[in-house]
Amino acid sequence: QTPTIDLSLKNVPLKACLSAIEKQCDYTFMYDNSINTDQPVTVEARQASLPVVLQKVFEHTSIRYEIVGKQIILKNKPATSSITFTGKVVDSQNEPLIGASVIVKGTSKGTITDVHGNFSISDIPLNTNLVVSYIGYNSKDIVANSAHQTITLSENNRQLNEVVVVGYGVQQKKLITGATVNVSGQDLQKLSTTNALQALQGQTAGVNITTTSGQPGGGIKVNIRGVGTIGNSNPTYVVDGVITNDISYLDNADIASVDVLKDAASAAIYGINGANGVVLITTRGGSFGVNGAPKAQISFDTYYGLQNVARKLSLLNAPEYATLQNEAAINSGVTPFFTQAQINAMGPGTNWLDEVLSKNVPTQNYNIAATGGNAASMYSLAFSYTDQGGIIGGASLSDYQRYNFRVNTEDKLYGNFMKLGEHFTYSHINQRGIQDQGIYNSSLRGVFNTSPFLAMYDANGNFLNSTKSTFYNGGPWDTGEANPYAMMLYTNQSRTNYDKLLGDVYLSIQPVKGLTVKSTFGLEYDGSAYHGYSPTYDLSATAINTTESISQSSSVGYTWNWDNTANYIFKVNKNHFDVLLGNSIRQYTGSWLYGSNQGSTLFGNLQYAYLSNSAITSIAASTSSTDTKVVTNTISLTGNANPVVAHSSFFGRINYDYNETYLATVVLRADGSTMFAPGYQWGEFPSFSAGWVITNEKFMAPTKNWLDFLKLRGSWGINGNDNISTTFAYESLIALSNATYNLGGTDVPGSYPNTIGTKNLKWESSHQLDFGFDARLLENLNVNFDWYNKTTKDWLVQAPLLATAGVSTPPYINGGDVTNKGVEVQLSYNNHIGRDFHYTVTGTYSYNRNNVTNIPTVDRIIHGGTNILFANSGEFYRAQAGNPIGFFWGYKTAGIFQSEADVLAWRSKSGKVLQPNAQPGDVKYVDVNGDGVIDANDKTDIGDPNPHHMFGATLSCTFKNFDFSVDASGVAGNKIAQSYREEASQYSNWTTAMLNRWHGAGTSNTMPRVTLNNSNWVNFSDLYLQNGAYLRINNVTLGYDFAKLINCKYIHQCRLYGSVENLFTFTKYNGMDPEVGFSTQGAGSNYNFGQGVDVGMYPRPRTYLVGLSVKF
Amino acid sequence: CTNFLTTQLTSSKTSDSYYQTPSDAATALVGCYNGLDLIWNSGVAVPLMAEVESDNCFGGTGSSDGYGYEMMDEFNKSVSPSDVSLFEGDWEAYYQAIYRCNTLIGKIGQVNWGKDTASAKTDEGEAKFLRAYLYYDLVRLFEKVPLITVPTMANVPQASPDSTYAQIISDLKYAAANLPSTPYPNVVNGRATKWAAEAMLARVFLFYTGYYGKADCAGFTKADALAAIDDVRDNSGYGLVTDYTTLWPAASAAKGVTYAGEDNKEVIFSIKYTGNGNYSGNITGNPFAIMTGMRIGAGGGTSIYPYAYGWGAATVDPKLWNAFSASDSRRFASITSITDEGLDTKYTTITGKAFTGDNNREYTGYYLKKYSPMCDSLNNALPNTNYLVAQPQDYFDMRYADVLLMAAELELGTNSGQALIDFNRVHTRAGLTAATSITLADIMNERRLEFAGEGIRYWDLLRQGIQTAATTIVANTTASYLSDGTSSPAITVANIEATRGFQQIPENQITLSGGVLKQNAGW
Repeated sequence: QTPTIDLSLKNVPLKACLSAIEKQCDYTFMYDNSINTDQPVTVEARQASLPVVLQKVFEHTSIRYEIVGKQIILKNKPATSSITFTGKVVDSQNEPLIGASVIVKGTSKGTITDVHGNFSISDIPLNTNLVVSYIGYNSKDIVANSAHQTITLSENNRQLNEVVVVGYGVQQKKLITGATVNVSGQDLQKLSTTNALQALQGQTAGVNITTTSGQPGGGIKVNIRGVGTIGNSNPTYVVDGVITNDISYLDNADIASVDVLKDAASAAIYGINGANGVVLITTRGGSFGVNGAPKAQISFDTYYGLQNVARKLSLLNAPEYATLQNEAAINSGVTPFFTQAQINAMGPGTNWLDEVLSKNVPTQNYNIAATGGNAASMYSLAFSYTDQGGIIGGASLSDYQRYNFRVNTEDKLYGNFMKLGEHFTYSHINQRGIQDQGIYNSSLRGVFNTSPFLAMYDANGNFLNSTKSTFYNGGPWDTGEANPYAMMLYTNQSRTNYDKLLGDVYLSIQPVKGLTVKSTFGLEYDGSAYHGYSPTYDLSATAINTTESISQSSSVGYTWNWDNTANYIFKVNKNHFDVLLGNSIRQYTGSWLYGSNQGSTLFGNLQYAYLSNSAITSIAASTSSTDTKVVTNTISLTGNANPVVAHSSFFGRINYDYNETYLATVVLRADGSTMFAPGYQWGEFPSFSAGWVITNEKFMAPTKNWLDFLKLRGSWGINGNDNISTTFAYESLIALSNATYNLGGTDVPGSYPNTIGTKNLKWESSHQLDFGFDARLLENLNVNFDWYNKTTKDWLVQAPLLATAGVSTPPYINGGDVTNKGVEVQLSYNNHIGRDFHYTVTGTYSYNRNNVTNIPTVDRIIHGGTNILFANSGEFYRAQAGNPIGFFWGYKTAGIFQSEADVLAWRSKSGKVLQPNAQPGDVKYVDVNGDGVIDANDKTDIGDPNPHHMFGATLSCTFKNFDFSVDASGVAGNKIAQSYREEASQYSNWTTAMLNRWHGAGTSNTMPRVTLNNSNWVNFSDLYLQNGAYLRINNVTLGYDFAKLINCKYIHQCRLYGSVENLFTFTKYNGMDPEVGFSTQGAGSNYNFGQGVDVGMYPRPRTYLVGLSVKF
Repeated sequence: CTNFLTTQLTSSKTSDSYYQTPSDAATALVGCYNGLDLIWNSGVAVPLMAEVESDNCFGGTGSSDGYGYEMMDEFNKSVSPSDVSLFEGDWEAYYQAIYRCNTLIGKIGQVNWGKDTASAKTDEGEAKFLRAYLYYDLVRLFEKVPLITVPTMANVPQASPDSTYAQIISDLKYAAANLPSTPYPNVVNGRATKWAAEAMLARVFLFYTGYYGKADCAGFTKADALAAIDDVRDNSGYGLVTDYTTLWPAASAAKGVTYAGEDNKEVIFSIKYTGNGNYSGNITGNPFAIMTGMRIGAGGGTSIYPYAYGWGAATVDPKLWNAFSASDSRRFASITSITDEGLDTKYTTITGKAFTGDNNREYTGYYLKKYSPMCDSLNNALPNTNYLVAQPQDYFDMRYADVLLMAAELELGTNSGQALIDFNRVHTRAGLTAATSITLADIMNERRLEFAGEGIRYWDLLRQGIQTAATTIVANTTASYLSDGTSSPAITVANIEATRGFQQIPENQITLSGGVLKQNAGW
């Protein structure tokens, strides 16, 4: 009996149709892989017999079928006649793809597309199977017919078939067993950021990127999978194989792709450099011409934008400030400073923030690039220029200019036997800026804390000296305050040029098939030249500079590396092997020179502030008759060579797979480092990982129609870190500087041991376990998931040392363990609605918990620094077992005392009044340890500065010639300690948050009363803390491509776009910017592990910009 | 590849490659002396602390400053509860200086001295003198301190005061025995000499036996002390300058006489400072000086020739002023009286504003003058490079007058005639009539006046016993001179006795030691 079948299929792949038929009858289809089962078919059948259905299915295909028993055998119809097939190849945005190849399947016969994406292929049989391919795009099988076809190739950047960069080589993404994430350079270039890392924000799960300052050229902090050490927790950057610690010299347009190696197995090949993760950057290369035809593309990109402050802090105006000062006086039992009539008569005073902020500060970027090649050589050249001005003080004080030149080439010699290539990028950065970190010398601190009473100018139009102010009863209000605008102007007269050359030359040969031997010589040169000028000024009782001075410094550093690798790829049946062996040596040398001179200068300005333009004089003895010593040390000259740092490494890797289904990788690396004493120099870093492409299994066949790909993977490994700021930490060093003593009337040079060496210092290592999966569902949805547990052991720390040891610089010791555990999810979905509307949605989410498990010092604590929130402020963060790194350590509060009765009612369990001296309006502290006394023993963990949740999302879509994208990112679960006010002074201004202070019963239960000695703020408590969660709309862009309208043969893209950077931030945080990247210093040491401390940070600007991208 | 990983240190020598030549040792010894410039440049200058805690001075400082100095003055932790590590800077700096001395003393044997064996002894002698000097301050400040004589990173518990004094005596004896007996003026100003060591031995003996009520100090007897001090008095070549005023630069300028200079014949040992101090780590300025500078003018920023402004710490109790007779030349030389010297009027002339002392907490109208920072005749603070960290005036630690008064004290009752002679040399130099007989109380009073503002009085009080010290200190603080509206000093005998006169051990160091260090009673 012939079965009957119901089918209603429209444009489904043939294979889906076949399986639908198989489900409805007990027939099976038999065919080999020459049958194109991806071709779309349309069938409509109601209770039709199988032969009728088969007839309908195959009538428009080149397939014939034959029913043998219960099997239906499919074969390709024999070619009938030759045709000429024409078509056009475009990308998902309907852009023509130039140089795409169209090849007859299984042969070398074919052609490539011309500059309009068109091709023509003649003399082929009808229904010939063709493969259309293009680098960076998914290949597509088509069947030639007589009609002109437009073939759309989808980009494969995020697809599984792409090849991604791993250490010392590349690997197919579907075979990777570690946790890596790849971002294409195009995605970075879409965001018009000066620093490429900033564009990466929110695009990679598990990578937390924070700007440390919104100032042009400001730093960026990157933490991969949590903070693993109190030392330097930044990842290692590897640009085209050359290790560097900073990639701010690159223009976004220079970057072809970024690969982040997150787990130990992926980073293990970089052993020593892998403990904090590795970021691999590939700069743009050229491409070999197809079939011998040379090809070239020239592109020009530019944007110009105007920047303004995104959110302004609101400070008190003169009457508000006077009112609070009066209130503080009354609360402190002192006569108020002003009468109400005086306050009423006050104007608003000076808004210092408005004085220092500049409006519509330009930012601009130009990039011109050429890429191309012929059959044997390819090249990529680029020049770019970036200039970003700062919104505080304007471009004259805060500015970042960068010039980049890049040349990448590769040549094939002797056929495919040898490849010779190079990558070189030179950048010149010209930077000036204001000081914005910390509380000392920070221009912003002056702005926050100078009273609105002080006027900008005196009667002659000069900056008013605060001692000459007549505001307060005809005299000065606070002779210690100095015009912050003038201070910013006078104390930031400096300029620094940085030069960087980074690149490599390489030679690789292929002596036998599958074996590649490669030798690479890499170089990084860093030079800097600084000059600064300090004018004379007299702005307050203490802000006085009576002599001009000039300082000048320069430094150079060279790092070279020589890497040799041998890579052999072979297979035995279905066993595929990819074996790598290599060694690497690397050495850093450098030197620096600094000079300064005090005294009159020739030009009196920054532009000509070089040492020889100042008088080399000593300051004359005073005219006083008394014995005043002549001061002679107005000239300072210092310089030295930096200690040489060298590394020697051996490494090996085996990638194995069985039929692309069972995957395994083993890596072993041994590193020797001069950071350690002989005998402690070598460390070994192994890793193992395995994967299973479960969708290749037969039993997964039922899910094939929705689950295209699923790979389970797991890895374990150890990475190392020797990155400490002090070389020769294993020796006691003798210092000569600052050790003179006056003997017999002359300064005699002295020396002293200023460090204590720790001979047995060894590697810091991070051990990491990772489980995850990569999946593709419904063709369009990619999912990556990871769970990890990372333990960093034997931190190289300068643990605070007992003073009795006798050195001010504590020695490095191995100590401290921290774990970071978390999960990461990365999703991307792309699809189209109709022919013209294409969209992509990506999302990243990661969760991380950081926990210190051991600190080996005597008191089991690594202490945070002091004098960070305000002058003489105490310790308020620590690293201690059982808490996250840098947790906030302070008092818990329980509201505000509303009345005397309230004070008396606030008792310990044993009935003791806890704060007998408190007044209504003061803060209630919690007696955490229950001993009836509020003291340092009650300080506890009151908040975690490390974000627990990090997320990002991008939506981009195109409609015909329009494109639109939105990019957002944020964090949650962290606390920010905010301290804008200098609590050591009674005169500091407040933010308007203080208008909600307690000033009578019931007025506030969160903000205490004001007093002259700021008693409620002297102790660090949760009053300082705020929720640091935010979601920022980083970028919104709308573009339109005019190329079609222009319709010029040589212009393939002419896209004009407008975008807004830092459009809006959703947050409850009331400071200027919740993205607080400032790291504060630990107690008496070199490392910065205090996070989430906002003492006034240069805010990130909001930028409106227009841009143009032209491709020829 | 082993060679590849062998790199040379180009920026420094290591403790193994250094200390090879006599020149290395000499340079390292200068580094030990440099330690003296460090010790008071963070935390609290010890003579300043001694003046504040004695009956001479109040805490002072600015009206919006912290209350740390008041806490010292009143021996009361609750005055400034957050100041739990007021002396941490001292603690650290003293041990840094001690580490330098310990390292050098330990490496003396490593040096290839050749024929220069004399230098081996003098270098070691000077280093040991410095170590004793440092420990003597520490043991008086904190009583029980870790006694470290060999560099170590270990967590060392506090030693008994007897052990520390024994080490001090031993080091000083070594210095006295091994340093040459070259007399003044053929000595290098600033270097520790045999004479300085001997005078220190007497000073340590008097303090230890006085405070602890013992007959000798680690076997160093009264006879030993007398022999030592007599040797200095008779053989050192030092003597008194004629005019007391000329010892002090600000007083000399104010009175119009010529300053005797820092290498004058009365200075047996001083801590040398220079005007080269800066904020880049060259810590060579006198911190005591800038702290005691008068704090007048709004913001505390007006100099009146020859006095430059400072931070107004240790404001003088008027009772000290009144303790001097008007004919005592030491009154003018020691204390600046704002009204008597007409500085209030000058202030008005300079600034055009009425004079108020309001900016200075515990303003009394009297400032210490001996170490007053100075200005030029145009009222610009000196040195004009960086007056805050570059006060150049040396701290005179041991003057010949002290030798005379110590000799008088040791001779009292056994050789009263000589005692009277020694006493009167100091007494009459001040322009006073010679005494015909003296008691110990007379000597103590004379010491108070002679050394007013030099950081000596407090130790003289303590060595009369904590009870005497406490009652004397309390008796002198009844008046309120506070300008900031807060409570007046409430110094109680009980509080002083609770501390036994010792200071608060820095809480941070106790924490770092995991409780191995124990806090002093009363703190």
